[in-house]
Amino acid sequence: MTTDELEKLLAEQPVSRLHRLAHGRVYRHFRLGKRRLIETLLRCTPEQRSGLESDLQALIQEESGTQQPARERQKPAISRTGRSEWSPAKPASPVEPEPAESPADLTAFLEGIGVPEPKPFVPDAWQEEALEALAVTDVVVSVPTGSGKTYVAIEATKRAIEAEETVIYTSPLKALSNTKFTEFSRLFGADQVGILTGDRRDNAQAPLLIMTTEILRNLLYDAAGGEIDVRLDTLGLVIMDESQYIADPERGVVWEETIVFCPTQARLLLLSASIGNPQDIADWLTSIRPTPCHLIRHHRRSVPLRAGYLHPSGKLTPLFRSVGIPRAPHSPLHPEAKRLFAQYEEETLRPGSR
Amino acid sequence: MPPSIHPVDLIGALRHKHLTPAIVFLTSRRACDDAMQAFQRSQTNLPPARQQAIASVLGQLVEQYPSIAEHPLLPVVQRVGVAAHHAGHLPSWKIAIEELMRQGCLDAVFATTTLAAGVDFPARTVVVTQSSVRKTRDFTDLTIGEIQQLAGRAGRRGKDLVGFAVVTPSPYIDLGVITKGLTGQPEPIDSQFVISYPMVLNLLKAHPLDQIQAILARSFAQFQLNRRAEQLECKLDQLHVQMEPYGPRVCTDWITQWQVFDHARKQKASRVHTRQAGGTRLAGPGRREPPELAARLHFLTPGRVIGLSKGRGVVLRQYRSKGQRSPTVTVLRPGGAVTECPAASVTQIFDRIFEVEETPAYPWCTGQSLDSLTHQVSELPVRMPVLPILVQEEPEESEIVQTLTDEFPCPTCPSRPACQKDHAAALRLRQEVHRNQKTIQALHTGLWHRFQKRAEVLQQRGYLTPTCRLTDVGEWARLIRIDHSLLITELIRADAFSGAEPQILAAIMASIAHDDDRPGAFPRMSQGLASLLGQVRQLAESLAPDEDPPLLRADVAALTERWIGDPTLTWIGLCRVTTMAEGDIYRLLARTLEYLSQVYQLRETHPGLADTASKAIKVLRRGVLEELP
Ligand SMILES: Nc1ncnc2c1ncn2[C@@H]1O[C@H](COP(=O)(O)OP(=O)(O)OP(=O)(O)O)[C@@H](O)[C@H]1O
Ligand SMILES: [Mg+2]
Repeated sequence: MTTDELEKLLAEQPVSRLHRLAHGRVYRHFRLGKRRLIETLLRCTPEQRSGLESDLQALIQEESGTQQPARERQKPAISRTGRSEWSPAKPASPVEPEPAESPADLTAFLEGIGVPEPKPFVPDAWQEEALEALAVTDVVVSVPTGSGKTYVAIEATKRAIEAEETVIYTSPLKALSNTKFTEFSRLFGADQVGILTGDRRDNAQAPLLIMTTEILRNLLYDAAGGEIDVRLDTLGLVIMDESQYIADPERGVVWEETIVFCPTQARLLLLSASIGNPQDIADWLTSIRPTPCHLIRHHRRSVPLRAGYLHPSGKLTPLFRSVGIPRAPHSPLHPEAKRLFAQYEEETLRPGSR
Repeated sequence: MPPSIHPVDLIGALRHKHLTPAIVFLTSRRACDDAMQAFQRSQTNLPPARQQAIASVLGQLVEQYPSIAEHPLLPVVQRVGVAAHHAGHLPSWKIAIEELMRQGCLDAVFATTTLAAGVDFPARTVVVTQSSVRKTRDFTDLTIGEIQQLAGRAGRRGKDLVGFAVVTPSPYIDLGVITKGLTGQPEPIDSQFVISYPMVLNLLKAHPLDQIQAILARSFAQFQLNRRAEQLECKLDQLHVQMEPYGPRVCTDWITQWQVFDHARKQKASRVHTRQAGGTRLAGPGRREPPELAARLHFLTPGRVIGLSKGRGVVLRQYRSKGQRSPTVTVLRPGGAVTECPAASVTQIFDRIFEVEETPAYPWCTGQSLDSLTHQVSELPVRMPVLPILVQEEPEESEIVQTLTDEFPCPTCPSRPACQKDHAAALRLRQEVHRNQKTIQALHTGLWHRFQKRAEVLQQRGYLTPTCRLTDVGEWARLIRIDHSLLITELIRADAFSGAEPQILAAIMASIAHDDDRPGAFPRMSQGLASLLGQVRQLAESLAPDEDPPLLRADVAALTERWIGDPTLTWIGLCRVTTMAEGDIYRLLARTLEYLSQVYQLRETHPGLADTASKAIKVLRRGVLEELP
């Protein structure tokens, strides 16, 4: 059997049969989806291959034997043309017994949707902490998306401008720079905000300058080479938004260059979405900057998040057993989501169904 | 792949459960556009008041971004309250959609995941329909960080009490990847430091050569390399402790002594043996590998993570194949397959070793090890640091043998039994010590070596003096700080642009700048541009050993030539001559603008060229290209 033939044959099998086949062959096979399972099975060594093929044939015979006349069983499963002559197992023999509907879970899952009461703005403790630390040293903030990192940037900018320092705000994308330019101009007044691009400088003498990280890197190179362009001597604060870009294969190096050449009198504020090792970034800054870097890191979402599964039929169920998203990997899926997804894979991955 | 649920039904289901506004992440722009078409045909209209709200927000934006007013999708968006947001759109349109979303005017936005990091608007619900994303050529699984970045857009602070991440299947979705992404910890990030020619020139402009190593040492790259070196140093200390019983004996370096003696003994035996076999010289046990391969063999030890032409794996053992006696490794692949590969086929050796409890028979380690390795190898991060391997020239083996064969004290030495017994263990330890020392050294000096390599090229080409100061050429070349800088500066030095019109200069810059390989249609280009592009291609090819050549696509050059060459051409007219999406044309021209403004930086040394660049910039910046700074 060629690999293609085997792959096709495997794709025709119900997931349950693939799991039986994978038992003892594939580590943690029960965690894999149908596609993964097939991929993994196909990766076996040539020695294991013949065993796999014969076991597969045996499973097919064993499970469909009761439904098929003996002479059909003798036929090869795959004909020369590559089309299957073997009729797939009837979906009538379900993979798992269908669990009873659990609308109670769904109600709990959808409970509490709505708009919160308007509350006066009170900064979070971590926001205060970041601002306090920023008065004396560099700060790395690694908190979930939508937590309010912009507030820290804005407040810190306000304080720096009051102290008559220049502030540079960098983002990885021109589009984002633009959005922030509009937002900050509205907030601080148009005369207080400038934007620098490769060919244009709007209001370059303003105390708050917005640019992409590449432009700042170039400014720093020019300054190091002796040409002063923007007033870097009054630079008090450099904000690098979305600084997880430091791991970008093409552009990441620009973040490193910028940080390495950032004037020592300016403080750095690195804002990033959650990354696995913000402590490393902080330790690195501590090792090259005049003052020890302060790290702010937490995983609490300001708005709780829940996960659901929407079946193509339009049926919605919770994705996990718990209402919120569990923090442990390999958390159990909601039985209904599991059943519906298995059903989906059955239907779509069988050849001829699409 | 589109999701299996029809987009109109999807949004209907979400609306029904009060889960809007939602961001629906789809695999491709195509899928987003198809979803919009489905809505265009549908009759699910918004109530008039909400249509009015959208119109008024857009009305305010039109002042700043006039191109919005004529956008073909505007009527649908207003009628159904649903929009698409992807890189094929103009930035101004995307800004408009984002603003509508921020103001809560839309029920849903269909977006591509590629843009997730730049999408700066939240929603109540995020719908995920895929578990992998197209990166360069292949589909790669989304990382935990990426999934959390997507899902994290759900739940607007101050506007929602709770947010929802809803998974809906599309063909080839892998639920395992998504649940792991939702529940797991984001991956640690690794430095992606590369040393480019402009970096070398700019560093040497500001600092003398003897300070450079110290500056490179301040990079995050070096910080992470040092961390790894520290770990290896700990291991080295342990190895030294283990080496203690094998200190000096009758001879100080008894390990080498015994090794050579033993080798000579065997060589002799085999020589006698071959002679007996009929005098033919066999490529027998004495055969040597090329030094690159020999240097690698030290690293191909159990537990080492390696890259092969297809995928990666962990080494379980190294041995010599039966017939050829060529070095071979047994490798555990993700998914649990155990395969045999020639050591020569190993493409990368990663700086990562897993614990392995070795056993003498298949599968060469304990079942427990196999299980945990299988697990670890399938969870490897996408990028891992690669070990630089230093190749060492070794003296010809036969020489050693000849000079030493008959001069060993070993046969009669009192320490012989002890040496014979301990030799294998001591040698293994010592090799491991050497390997570790080599790796540590490579970790400390790797960046500096890479810098030196770049500097050498710049010296050969006349940008740097032999003492690594900037030459006159280097002085201006350092101002070109973009990709393919070497090609651009070499073109300028070859006077390729002398007398070129603005549209020709811009067209060439466009073909150098554009790095997207989505196919486009081919408008006609002028004779002059065609012949210059040919020259550029030749030069790029000749530079290939030192700098990867850009795509140099003719169609993007021709398109740019049109735009600059004919100032009366409208944006819509330009879009009509190509199959490229609006957003891609915009990005092409915006990047061209960036490249041209770098050329304009050379106004002191190359006034003529800078003048041409500035003319091109002026014409280029019109219509939609004027809307954003
Ligand atoms: N202390 C607070 N109390 C209430 N709301 C807040 C607070 N801080 C910030 N917000 C609100 O939270 C929302 C999200 O904030 P922001 O855009 O700064 O998030 P972010 O952390 O930058 O996220 P991203 O990773 O997406 O960039 C904003 O609407 C902001 O007004
Ligand atoms: Mg933000």
